[in-house]
Amino acid sequence: MKIQAIFCLLALIISCEISAANDDITVSDAWVREAPPGAAMLAAYMTITNTGNRTRVLEWVESMNFSPVMLHRSAVVNGMATMLHQDSLSIPAHGKIELKPGSFHLMMPAPSIPMRAGNAAYFILHFRNGDCLMIETSVKKASDMP
Amino acid sequence: MNQTSQPSVTREAFWILPGVLLAALIWFFFFKPTVVTPPELMQATLLPVARSIQPFSLEQIDSPPFTLDNLKGEWSFVFFGYTHCPDICPTTLQDLARVMKQLDEKPGKREKPQVIFISVDPERDQGQQLTDYVRYFNDQFIGITGSPDELLTLTRQLGVIYAKVSGDAKENYLVDHSAVVILFDPNGDFRAVFSAPHKADAIVHDLGKIQQFFTASRL
Repeated sequence: MKIQAIFCLLALIISCEISAANDDITVSDAWVREAPPGAAMLAAYMTITNTGNRTRVLEWVESMNFSPVMLHRSAVVNGMATMLHQDSLSIPAHGKIELKPGSFHLMMPAPSIPMRAGNAAYFILHFRNGDCLMIETSVKKASDMP
Repeated sequence: MNQTSQPSVTREAFWILPGVLLAALIWFFFFKPTVVTPPELMQATLLPVARSIQPFSLEQIDSPPFTLDNLKGEWSFVFFGYTHCPDICPTTLQDLARVMKQLDEKPGKREKPQVIFISVDPERDQGQQLTDYVRYFNDQFIGITGSPDELLTLTRQLGVIYAKVSGDAKENYLVDHSAVVILFDPNGDFRAVFSAPHKADAIVHDLGKIQQFFTASRL
């Protein structure tokens, strides 16, 4: 299982051109919400900060733990909770975007083997200019988050 | 003028004022109609008049149907959603679990409501899976659902709406739904509504105020 995981990770890294331009982008406070029993879909959250002088556009996300990973935004429109698919997420120059409960988030189907709090999860963020950034995070219980 | 009658008139006049005062006090404490000002609330909208609900019947696993009678005798928070919802529904249930935790930490000050999650996705949310889902948040939470007709009997009385939205595959549809938490009083009447986004502190504050108002209005 571990060897398989490392292999998957290597495959993801090879498929992705990691460039120095990534220094402009940092990811913090990333976590995957532990799924309640029977939940078919999961959400992941993080803050993406852009310290560069150009707007950066996150186009797609892949993961060795989940497939597919979708960019979504929850919103309450006229009192209705709705989810809006996002083609991409823009991170303004010297700005940030917060993926958080009730707002932007990554949505993915729950894996066949349930992930529990403490399990590691890996994502690769792909940006429009071809850069990508791999992040390691973990599954957490929402009750442990502020 | 007979001087001996003068003191008796004075004595009678002397008792008039205390008598009137006593009558006013008795009236004030026992007969005056209670005028209670609605409370200042942080998040909830209190209905001007509690709304009675017509009978309904929904399904819960290993128990008799969940009906209007189940809302009577205690306060109830009711939230509509579905278990395939990855963000808003678990966030709201987590907020309600935080409310319950705060109420546990301040016993005696407020009556603890029951929490009922009603799935508006009966095709995918059934039986034990729904119960396991809600009990992940708090082992006292109740998960129920029903046929579209059974759900409609309740939702249309509460102004709650929901609709299937196509997803990327037929079985992966999403459901848009009203994002409100509804508060029922122990008469089983629709009393208040909490709009999203929900904050546990605000819900606990408003619940206490609404319960005080409910008690005072009944005096």
